Amino acid sequence: MPDYLEATVDKFIFRVATDRHYSPEGIWALAEGDRVRVGLTDFVQQRSGDVAFAEVKPVGTVLKAGDEVAVIETIKVNIGVPSPVGGTVAAVNPAMQLSPEAINQDPYGEGWLALIDARDWPTDRDALLDPGAYLELMTGQAEDEATKP
Amino acid sequence: MSPDARNVMVVPCSGIGKTYGTVSREAAYEVTEDLRAESTRLVALSLLVLGDDEARAAVAANPTVTIDGCKLGCAEKMVRESGGRVPRSFAVLDTYRRHRDLKPDGIAELDEGGRRLAHALADEVAAAVDSLTAGDEEVPHA
Repeated sequence: MPDYLEATVDKFIFRVATDRHYSPEGIWALAEGDRVRVGLTDFVQQRSGDVAFAEVKPVGTVLKAGDEVAVIETIKVNIGVPSPVGGTVAAVNPAMQLSPEAINQDPYGEGWLALIDARDWPTDRDALLDPGAYLELMTGQAEDEATKP
Repeated sequence: MSPDARNVMVVPCSGIGKTYGTVSREAAYEVTEDLRAESTRLVALSLLVLGDDEARAAVAANPTVTIDGCKLGCAEKMVRESGGRVPRSFAVLDTYRRHRDLKPDGIAELDEGGRRLAHALADEVAAAVDSLTAGDEEVPHA
């Protein structure tokens, strides 16, 4: 169970797990040996609403960092999820087929999307944000959302 | 509100300005005004939120079917907090997952997909109402 940083914006509380890295788009990356697990942040899942469908690229798909690793359809929007890491999809969360609401219920745990055999994690990691930097960026994004007319 | 032949209450989402909330209300209207008008009564969630005595009495005295627009489940929660029992609850999203070709759009007025999704949901609710009026206390989820 990771520890969390938290930001409160308007009536919403957003959590940022402290054990992983983040892309500015709100995709997290958690290194596990040579593999990197990826998923959506709490902010992205709350902003996007209830997930209806999650389609993740199949095992064996070769990705560059920034390539689309999944498409998420929620009650509000369709989201193309850019992979924060390059490599080959090694596993897809089976829960995405039948219960994609796991993304809403547990975005940093059971709601993971894919496990990727990383090609060059150290280089990709350097392009990502640490939890504190992502918290700051995300808080600004959330405040912008909150002040939209 | 005294018990009468229309003994299944239907409480839809009150989310104004939300597509899925509109789908829930359109489905509720179809059930209570058309498909099962003789056995159901619509209760506005907003009345329960306001503590309206008549609305609270209606859900306390009769089985209630709720239709929620999102997973917050406000309708189901509010009925339970009002002393009602909910033998069957619906979520628009669950019905949409069974009918992916019916992606809803529109708010004040639903598009074709939304209207057809509301109709599909209304059929599911009507089937649940039939089970309840037949005496089934628990209605299996779809």
